[in-house]
Amino acid sequence: METEQTPTPNTATSDTNSTCEYLDAEGDSEHETGDLYQEADADAEQQHHQGHNIISEAVSGQTNKDLTTSVESLALSTSTSAKTEDSVSTNAVEEDLDDYQHDSVWRGQKKHIFILSEAGKPIYSLHGNEDKLAALFGVIQVLVSIVQRDQDGIISIHAGGIKFAFMHRNSLILVAASRTNMSIQQLQLQLSDVYYQILSLLTHSHLSKTFERRKNFDLRRSLAGSERLIFNLLANDSSNARVSSNIFTFLTNSIRVFPLPTAVRSNIISAIQSNCSKVKDLVFAVLIADNKLIALVRMKKYSIHPSDLRLIFNLIECTESFKNSPHWLPICLPKFNMNGFWHAHISYLTNDCPACLLLISVDKNASDIMQSVKMRITEKLERSQCLQAINEELQEPHNAKLYQQMLSMPELRHFLYKPKATAQLLFPMLRHPYKTLSEFERLEAIYCSLLHRIHNQSRPLKLIYELRDREVILAWVTATYELYAVFESIVDKATVIKYVDKLIKWIEKEYDVYFIRNHATF
Amino acid sequence: MATRKKSLLKVIILGDSSVGKTSLMNQYVNKRFSNQYKATIGADFCTKEVVVNDRVVTMQIWDTAGQERFQSLGVAFYRGADCCVLVYDVTAPNSFKNLDSWRDEFLIQASPRDPEHFPFVVLGNKVDLDNRQVSTRRAQQWCQSKNDIPYYETSAKEGINVEMAFQTIAKNALEQETEAELINDFPDQIRLNSENNRPGNADNCQC
Repeated sequence: METEQTPTPNTATSDTNSTCEYLDAEGDSEHETGDLYQEADADAEQQHHQGHNIISEAVSGQTNKDLTTSVESLALSTSTSAKTEDSVSTNAVEEDLDDYQHDSVWRGQKKHIFILSEAGKPIYSLHGNEDKLAALFGVIQVLVSIVQRDQDGIISIHAGGIKFAFMHRNSLILVAASRTNMSIQQLQLQLSDVYYQILSLLTHSHLSKTFERRKNFDLRRSLAGSERLIFNLLANDSSNARVSSNIFTFLTNSIRVFPLPTAVRSNIISAIQSNCSKVKDLVFAVLIADNKLIALVRMKKYSIHPSDLRLIFNLIECTESFKNSPHWLPICLPKFNMNGFWHAHISYLTNDCPACLLLISVDKNASDIMQSVKMRITEKLERSQCLQAINEELQEPHNAKLYQQMLSMPELRHFLYKPKATAQLLFPMLRHPYKTLSEFERLEAIYCSLLHRIHNQSRPLKLIYELRDREVILAWVTATYELYAVFESIVDKATVIKYVDKLIKWIEKEYDVYFIRNHATF
Repeated sequence: MATRKKSLLKVIILGDSSVGKTSLMNQYVNKRFSNQYKATIGADFCTKEVVVNDRVVTMQIWDTAGQERFQSLGVAFYRGADCCVLVYDVTAPNSFKNLDSWRDEFLIQASPRDPEHFPFVVLGNKVDLDNRQVSTRRAQQWCQSKNDIPYYETSAKEGINVEMAFQTIAKNALEQETEAELINDFPDQIRLNSENNRPGNADNCQC
């Protein structure tokens, strides 16, 4: 993405690398040309910046002189060692120190995420060894503190084609620096995902108590071994050079449902219900396969928030060891209760059926009971041929019926469909041309931009229809669903309307195969 | 099970302006010295890896501005420091007298858990100059009166005692760190029907 830059006159223009070299008071121009909605959207963008972008305001204002000075010094300060002119630099110490500042791979990353404590101590960096970035973490801490000193909070910086998003929660500072297509709000959603992931591991109260007692605490000690969970959440987009559909569920804050004939799903649900209903302290049973939800059965009065559910998916997706043996884990679901731990029995149903069952209880001593509940559920599912049905679906490279539908609409390349009533998402397999990384990246950019504009807080839109160089794109929000669709560029409007109509009718007819209307209770 | 991470220490350097804080840091980290004086604006950061008792430790060094007009960030800088280095200039008696207020200021702003035993180190810098005004004995007495703060006389220019002083800094900070081990309180158990569970979760399933 290219953005035009207009550095304000009184900001520092250091000659060396720095994260704060330019502070741009103008809004960025993140939208492609030829866009009907661009004008309106740019307006909204700007309003947004005026409202929230403290740094931009402060820099152009007269009153905040010391902020400007401080920022200037920060721009210089990460490069101290490189700036002492009158000496001969020979030793390896310097190379070591400047490792990342002069490392083109590190600097060229599309997205960086930094997590630090309020003391400025490194906790996590998506790329690179956070120890070696300690100076940068210091700069971030000071930047956040300067703005905070004035009873304000920094939200974003737009500089040199990079968006910086900040989040400060409960003794943690989280920062995203991105050249990707995500908007500030989308970056902040990523940051809050990571924050909730950390809460899920430690709980809010534990985190607060830890830093209350020791402000200099090195949180890496508490998170050791769990970095993979944070990485997997953050590596969900093309910036990590992988083509993963996880980005779609992330952007829409939803989960995917495992397609099953309605009769099979009800059999599964009743198997779970009948075995869980009398078990004391068992609150949720969640069955997942292939990163999709087969069934969620819950105790009356309790439900799981979609973002908690996404954390559960994340845990299952990146913990291979669950496949080897059942695990009994404490887990916090922060949207439900950020201060307490549940206890989850996590196991795959059988060696032959890679569906993962979570039995979530409040009783920390219920491991054995949960194991027997799991055995009974598995037996019942086996007898009623449900395991076989799950396996049949898993063996298909993609859902056959959906595939058929896509074949009948050759100019429809991809779509996202999300019913308003549930946080569940349906989308087809990726097909040509989006199977390559660069093309997939464009698809991702299209959805980022559509979703950002549809859900823009200051000016939400209901309909976007856009002709682009390489595709025709549509976003449509009705009372019952959100639809985002991408077509071949040569398609005419009549065909688009015809296809959308056809797709919606088909989804309505097959709704219960692809979505779960209400989660059953026990 | 978990791999033992390296330690990171946050070290703050405090003292009057032009006593040589930045020069000490530069000498220590980069082995260089410049006679030119450049005031630090706000703060400067450096990192250095050292080995203490067979452990690799990263020092995150916060070099602060001595000039008053740049000092509005006290709390933010001092928060969560593992060690504080107080620097004065042996040729400038006032910079020595001010150590008291630097120390007090730090303890107030940083409010460490155990102020009596918080690791400070005092450095009397510029011993290479002829016009010395503060005697070693006077400095040592002051350090003793403050719970035996380790004291070093240094020259950032000649590189005298700099390495050894920072080694002591790392060692003392690390001792503090290992003293207080991981906090082991068992986290809360979820209670059904408790008020902590978010309202709005009841009955209307959101997913």
